Amino acid sequence: MDKPFEKAVQGLETGPEASTPEAAGQGGVESTGHPSVAALREKFGAAILKAVVFSGDEHCVYVDAERSAEILHWLRDDASQRYDYLQDLTAIDYGGGRPLEVVYQLWSNTHKRQLRLKVTLPLHALEIDSVYDLWRTSDWLEREVFDLFGIHFRGHPDLRRILMPENYAEGHPLRKDFPLRGRFSRAEQTRLALSMRVEDYYTPDELTIGGTPVAAGDGLAREGRVGGPSEAVKNTTDPMIGGDIPISQRAPVPGGEATQGR
Amino acid sequence: MGLEGRKADLPTVPEGGHGEASFLTTKLDFLVNWSRRNSLWPMPFGTACCAIEMMASAASKYDLARFGMERMSFSPRQADLLICAGRVTYKMAPVLRKIWDQMPQPKWCISMGACASSGGVFDVYSMVQGIDTIIPVDVYVPGCPPRPEGLIYGILMLHEKIKGEKLSEKSLRAEDPLRVGKPNRSPEVIEAITGPFGNSTKQNRVSGLTSTAALARPTDRLP
Amino acid sequence: MATKKVEYVVARNPGLGTDGNPVPVTVPIPAELEPQMQGEHMLINIGPQHPATHGVLRLVLELDGETVIRCIPHIGYLHSSFEKLGEYRNWNQIVPLTDRMDYLAPLIYNCAYAMSVEKLMGIEVTERCKVVRVICMELDRIFSHLLWAGTTAMDIGAFTPFLYLFQERERIYDLHEALTGARITTSSTRIGGMMADLPPGWTAALRKFIENLPRTLDEVDTLLTNHQIWRGRNENVGVIGAEDAVNYGLTGANLRASGVDYDVRKDRPYYDYETYDFEVPVGENGDCYDRYLVRMEEMRQSINILRQALDRLPDGPINVDDPRVILPGKTDLMADMESMIHHFKVVMEGVNAPVGESWLGIESSKGELGMYVVSDGGSKPVRWRVRGPSFINLSALPKMVEGRLLSDVIATNASLDIVLGEIDR
Repeated sequence: MDKPFEKAVQGLETGPEASTPEAAGQGGVESTGHPSVAALREKFGAAILKAVVFSGDEHCVYVDAERSAEILHWLRDDASQRYDYLQDLTAIDYGGGRPLEVVYQLWSNTHKRQLRLKVTLPLHALEIDSVYDLWRTSDWLEREVFDLFGIHFRGHPDLRRILMPENYAEGHPLRKDFPLRGRFSRAEQTRLALSMRVEDYYTPDELTIGGTPVAAGDGLAREGRVGGPSEAVKNTTDPMIGGDIPISQRAPVPGGEATQGR
Repeated sequence: MGLEGRKADLPTVPEGGHGEASFLTTKLDFLVNWSRRNSLWPMPFGTACCAIEMMASAASKYDLARFGMERMSFSPRQADLLICAGRVTYKMAPVLRKIWDQMPQPKWCISMGACASSGGVFDVYSMVQGIDTIIPVDVYVPGCPPRPEGLIYGILMLHEKIKGEKLSEKSLRAEDPLRVGKPNRSPEVIEAITGPFGNSTKQNRVSGLTSTAALARPTDRLP
Repeated sequence: MATKKVEYVVARNPGLGTDGNPVPVTVPIPAELEPQMQGEHMLINIGPQHPATHGVLRLVLELDGETVIRCIPHIGYLHSSFEKLGEYRNWNQIVPLTDRMDYLAPLIYNCAYAMSVEKLMGIEVTERCKVVRVICMELDRIFSHLLWAGTTAMDIGAFTPFLYLFQERERIYDLHEALTGARITTSSTRIGGMMADLPPGWTAALRKFIENLPRTLDEVDTLLTNHQIWRGRNENVGVIGAEDAVNYGLTGANLRASGVDYDVRKDRPYYDYETYDFEVPVGENGDCYDRYLVRMEEMRQSINILRQALDRLPDGPINVDDPRVILPGKTDLMADMESMIHHFKVVMEGVNAPVGESWLGIESSKGELGMYVVSDGGSKPVRWRVRGPSFINLSALPKMVEGRLLSDVIATNASLDIVLGEIDR
């Protein structure tokens, strides 16, 4: 009974390996034996910064941000590589001001090989070339990374928010400095959610279809429309009956100022 | 705003009817309530996992047709009962409110599941912490997801509620037209009922008991 | 509040005129309300609350009459931020979150997540656990396809298969409940094993289920497969070619119906799938009808795999014998202090994973499900990413419906087998 207990306690307290803040993003051993890694090193030389293996058999190549599109293009089109399948495109924020990593997970259906590619982006320069023209899969994947991390993809034809509402003003949620419950108070989030106009529901592109939108009557009078509210109601600040709270009087925002991130 | 404004938030206690309850009004009430409750046409506002349990309730084993509810009305204009089954995000909230506003009186609402009642496991930036901040709710059915028997119990509870209604109580079926499209509760009440509690206030990336060096990062402690 | 009045413009008929006829009243309509008819294209909104969108999906369509010129899906109406929430939960505490993403096949998600974390930690589960997890995954593949077939048939207009298939689903609900205690949100795996071993009588119940299921599938087959209306609404509808399918990232039955033979169970086998004898149906035309045929056949192949898995189910422990991840037994726990402390530490502090990361893709009922876990040595992930197959499958919808008719949009959307929980995460 002692041995398992000691093993358990020891394993729980220290963890299998040293865990320091610098450890994040590490943990791979030097990569050998993957044909694509060798070919990449040969072709692109210095642009391939590092090649490691994670979890036993997951080869990962760190590349330079400037040449990432070129490298991915070669990986897709070269006959010996043929990574015709973009399995995943995502990003990692390690927190603490460290650079973000954009992760490409590739699969070659012809050669039955997997490869991971990572590009490190410093926080002050979150821009990278889009691979929209290489794999159409990246259409929504890049929009999602933009939405949740704020990374801008140059060359993407329609880079806008996908999971959050288009006019979401609290920032980029999956960043480590974004609090779990959001930057605005719950009352403010509710108020904003219910105060959207017709135009907020559509992209500017969609609004050009079929002419100017005419909001159907909600059965009710709003200002400027037929039978507007009486004077007494117009100037109220009571949000429950149609008034608007001036910004200075809105509910305090926990955890700092609200950033106008888009 | 004072106390008068608060009164609008609290559920109104129905006052006695205008005039005494006579034999005829009681019988009329009984008839009206009987016909209303015995074939509530649900408007299934199913978003997530609870919607699957609602579908299972409507299927053969836990048949909702025995309550007259097999006709799932997907148009709010023809529905009596909004069953909000599943989690509602702030992006979806105006849709929910609009559908509720489009339903004609008499209408009731069942909040099915933990996410619709209070936000459930999702105390996050995008999730409405309970749809009663947006629309008035009559019955809350807890569960994640509630079993079909649970939903049916909630429906039967609603039947009991409808049985006790009186036609003369105008407040039951009154709707303030100025509150169309607006939240159901005032900002202070929303803050009070959706505030973090229990473990939510201590949520951070590192468990307080661990002694690893990973605790060192200040960003790990953000709620 | 009740005393505030709102003024409406009401046109009151002034009654009868001098000639005995009603006086016509003209209600002046302000200029800004006059609809401007520009162009011939219509903007139609389907959803987010709609019976046929299989969840809260919003499709904005530009229509020229009945023909779709453009289709723009809007998602995010169910964004529950699982990935961020996962960063605040221990490795085992994330398992209940995985149920709620694809709520149609929860056991597959449970298994996929546990598999990726075990890969990261270098834990090899026991033989019994492997076979039990294969059983769970194949059972939920059938579970998901049964719902898909029922709701797709309902969308196209055939209501009866929905009832028959849901009755079969009820039997699977009973199996889920016997195994884990919950019908849908099973949360049955843990790092290093399962929450509990199979209860007595479960394998017998499962055998009975798979003996009876082919009969129901045959009934649905009779009702749908050669039905002229079904074929007419599904053949040559929502066509996507093989190259486009790969470029758009389609996976699962959607990809195989277009002729691309990619199934993770065959190409990157896990849990001894290479030793099971099953076929992977591959279509030719890439239309809705082929997707239907592929999924119906997949259900039959899953029954095949289940039968083999039940035959080879070995005895032995279900959990791996590693005290760093597995809780001590309850009898030990109540008997001695060390086990109590061990239990306390595992539950309160969580299991620590080594520094590193792991991306694992498996074949879920919707397509290729990828679980990416990044660890910095602590008990919570730095990043937990779910590559939900429906997210990427749905992005191909505009390609499949542009130029087609409006009713084809509904049929194609149904045939993609999407679940909004994993799209919006």
